[in-house]
Amino acid sequence: MTAQAVQTDEHAVVIGLEVHVQLETATKIFCGCSTAADDDEEPNSRTCPVCLGLPGALPVLNEGAVEAAVKIGKALSADIPERTTFHRKNYYYPDLPKNFQLTQYDAPICQEGELEISVEGDRREIGITRAHLEEDPGSLQHKGGSIDTAEATLINYNRAGTPLVEIVTEPDFRSPAETRAFLAKLEEVLEYLGVFDATRDGSLRVDANISLVDADEVDEEGAIDDSVLEDANRTEVKNISSHKAAEKALAYEVSRQKNAVKRGRALKTETRHWDESRGITVSMRSKESEADYRYFREADLPPLEVADWKDKIDIPELPDARRERFVADYGLDSEAASKLTSTKEVADFFEAVAEQFDPNVAATWVADNLLGELNYRDMLITDIEGRLDEFSRLIELVENDELTVKNAEEVVLRSMLDDGDDPETIIDREGLGKADDDAIADFVVEAIDENPDAVDDYHSGEDGALNFLVGQVMQKSGGSADPGSVNQLLREELDA
Amino acid sequence: MSDSPVDADEVQHVADLARVDLDDADADEFAAQFADILDYFAALDEVPEVDSDPELVNVMRADEVEEGLSQDEALQNAPETEDGFFKGPSVS
Repeated sequence: MTAQAVQTDEHAVVIGLEVHVQLETATKIFCGCSTAADDDEEPNSRTCPVCLGLPGALPVLNEGAVEAAVKIGKALSADIPERTTFHRKNYYYPDLPKNFQLTQYDAPICQEGELEISVEGDRREIGITRAHLEEDPGSLQHKGGSIDTAEATLINYNRAGTPLVEIVTEPDFRSPAETRAFLAKLEEVLEYLGVFDATRDGSLRVDANISLVDADEVDEEGAIDDSVLEDANRTEVKNISSHKAAEKALAYEVSRQKNAVKRGRALKTETRHWDESRGITVSMRSKESEADYRYFREADLPPLEVADWKDKIDIPELPDARRERFVADYGLDSEAASKLTSTKEVADFFEAVAEQFDPNVAATWVADNLLGELNYRDMLITDIEGRLDEFSRLIELVENDELTVKNAEEVVLRSMLDDGDDPETIIDREGLGKADDDAIADFVVEAIDENPDAVDDYHSGEDGALNFLVGQVMQKSGGSADPGSVNQLLREELDA
Repeated sequence: MSDSPVDADEVQHVADLARVDLDDADADEFAAQFADILDYFAALDEVPEVDSDPELVNVMRADEVEEGLSQDEALQNAPETEDGFFKGPSVS
């Protein structure tokens, strides 16, 4: 099966996405205002005449935003055309103080790309129609009620002018699950490129176009004739804010449309709003048609000719390629390779560790122990930035037999993350240094002297007795003895 | 009026898009004025062609933070504010 549609009853689902991605630049797209949003920042504290739309202010394009867009184009195997231009999209809404949004229209910076995804083992190629640069609007609060019942609107222009790339896909998705896989993959690629921060609130926002077509219209490759798509009534679902929400919103919308058809109701072309808290989509007042936006060229922004930047700007190795290299070069299994390439920072960290130790030892430590403990604490690899050396010393102590694996994993690593201490401090504090052989030999003799009943049981062949004595020695050593060698020493002593 | 390039319905539509409330008399009046304004532009057809300056391309700035306005400065022309926000009528 390659691209089989999800065919329930006699309908197939067709979905296309528009993904808005905030770029991680230092400044806004057309002015020098900072994009660094503090959680507790004051409203309207990062603005200037340009992003407030004051008369006479002139936009100047941020080179960093153009570079980021070119990187995205490269990663999506898209064309960067010889010449691209900016347009005004006119609409009257207070989130944009100029009454128009600066965007790109008929000459976007990226055209005709693709991104490969994998859904339940099937590989699917999703066509990218275009990706263009534009400015983010400001944010509105509807005071004293919901959007319908508010008495006033409070406006904050701190976000206004944050650079966005809008990525538009072909209608190539045949199920909500595919859109989720695509968005997760896209996020991963964008993070690798270093142009996007997934942890930032609202950094990825999605609108989805969804329609039902006759299942008979889908050919074996999953392709559908353009004329069929044009005739289908399409719903645009707005306000989706993550890849998980995309799958939920679209699954809801698919069943809503199927139920409507089942009851004999015609589907109409409309815009619907995803209400995350209620888990439903609701119809929005009909929006302006494309002609109503009265697009025209922005005379204050000269055209861009940056096709040659595609050769000049390097992008890092992307996740798929890196995963394959980890399997080939380090001999990792594909599950470990996937975990270790989940973000660029994790992959960099692993490779730094793998330089010093056997790759399999490094993989176990990073993929299983470290990522497991970080995940349990809701921490990210970036939270231990600069502590690579401490982590290496921890592994070295275990490799040199100076610390037991159990103590390293369960005490030292956890305390490193919880308390921020270095491994040596924790080992001293907890007295975890592996006990020397003489001390253990003394503990063995002590344990035998103190537990004559257990010794008798051992000699009469009772299985549990030896384990009990091992436990006693371990206790005396504060967990720092190696259970295997204690076992052996006890046997030698008892059988002597 | 029938041969006017802009009729009253079109004026009303554009006014709606800009959330401006026009009555029918206003719309008729503006339609006539738009027709006159468009006529004025016809004068440009009479202007002889001249050499234009070469077009600028790739005008960009480095991604470096510049100081902007304080909150007080940003809000000082606003007719209404609240807690540092611009305040306007409810919208949907």
